[in-house]
Amino acid sequence: MKHLSEEQIVLHFYDDADNSAEVREHLSACEACRTEFERVSALLTQIVPIEVPEPHESFEQKIWLNVRDRLPERQRVFFERFLSPPKWVLAGVMAMVVAGAFFAGRYWPRPKGTPTELATNREADVQRGVLVAVADHLDRSQILLIEIMHAEPGDVHEFPGEQARARDLLDSNRLYRVSAQRAGDPATSRTLDDLERVLAEIANGPSELTEADLQRLQRQIQSQGLLFKIHIIGSKAGQEQRSHGELPGNQRL
Amino acid sequence: MEVSDAAIVAQVLAGDRDAFRVLVERHSRSIYHVAYRMTGNAQDSEEIVQETMLRAYKALPRFELRSNFGTWLYRIAVNRTLDFLNARKRVQETHQITEDPDFEDGGGKEVQLAATGPGPDRLLLSAEVKQKIMQAMNQLSAPERVAFTMRHMEGKSIAEISQAMKLKPSAAKNSVFRAVQKLRQQLGPLAGQTE
Repeated sequence: MKHLSEEQIVLHFYDDADNSAEVREHLSACEACRTEFERVSALLTQIVPIEVPEPHESFEQKIWLNVRDRLPERQRVFFERFLSPPKWVLAGVMAMVVAGAFFAGRYWPRPKGTPTELATNREADVQRGVLVAVADHLDRSQILLIEIMHAEPGDVHEFPGEQARARDLLDSNRLYRVSAQRAGDPATSRTLDDLERVLAEIANGPSELTEADLQRLQRQIQSQGLLFKIHIIGSKAGQEQRSHGELPGNQRL
Repeated sequence: MEVSDAAIVAQVLAGDRDAFRVLVERHSRSIYHVAYRMTGNAQDSEEIVQETMLRAYKALPRFELRSNFGTWLYRIAVNRTLDFLNARKRVQETHQITEDPDFEDGGGKEVQLAATGPGPDRLLLSAEVKQKIMQAMNQLSAPERVAFTMRHMEGKSIAEISQAMKLKPSAAKNSVFRAVQKLRQQLGPLAGQTE
């Protein structure tokens, strides 16, 4: 007669054996296996749940005070979903920024200067307009990428949230990239192009990443130096915002 | 009437960050109990409770309001504890730290219980048994310890364990079995001692 394996005996103790009827039948017929089962039972019944010393009365308050200071400022996913402007509004704003900068350069009383200088100035204004408008988008993208770079394998179950954000960012990213191209800003356009590939990868990837998937994504972000590029353009945009107070086109209109 | 967890979650999601306090107050203690059974340490358990609450807050938009918040939180706590135990194991392995200097690393060795003298004090023996069990538990890998605690001490089903630990049911069963197997090796003489 073939004896039960240790695994079958242990799992039978918890009623988790796959073939419990057969195990039971075998135990009633086989003394050796029955003795082994009794040994396992004797040991396991002695392992009683660990007594947990009750924490102090103000335990919950202490936890809250520690947690409260570390809570993120806002629930990005929720607010992005419900409060962020629809894509057509973003598109409209971008179009207005670009058009504003264009018309400002075209109809504002022309300062003295050579045609080449004037053309260069107009182009610079349009570029500045795109740069300022893209700042918030880059900021949000940067936060998403940083979260992914710092994600640990255990965090992957929360990936659907990141995917939803990536999808939102992907749509606006396309608009900004096209605007940057039209505004003649190759540096911003190239960075947005790189960003778009990564966002597409996140948005269209599986909702549950394996550790290998996560590492591949992290490598992709790292190898392109994307966070650094975004940081540089974001800083530039921030400087523009600070030095002009508002969009350059609007300033002159 | 007590406001439901789901209603409070909705309130937090609507921007009332302080409403999260109610959820912290309602669930911290039970999470602490779970963490303590798995780590055996008060300070570590408190840290796990905090991390669980923070993680839950960040993941709140993904909580389905129809689900049970306590169960959802329990799963987060299990995963935080797994991470914590894994990290602790790595540190111990790196620095070759043994929590109890009198306790030899149990690589296949059996835990030696004190010899029973005439008329042994059963209370003392019981305390010693508990200590030996705790030491043997410390030798388990993080998944083994978590799976065993859930199955043996909290009476969770294999389905619940596999769901919480994101394992296939067969892998969850195997973790429980490997834990018992290691405990048997460590605590071999225990059954005879207390009979």
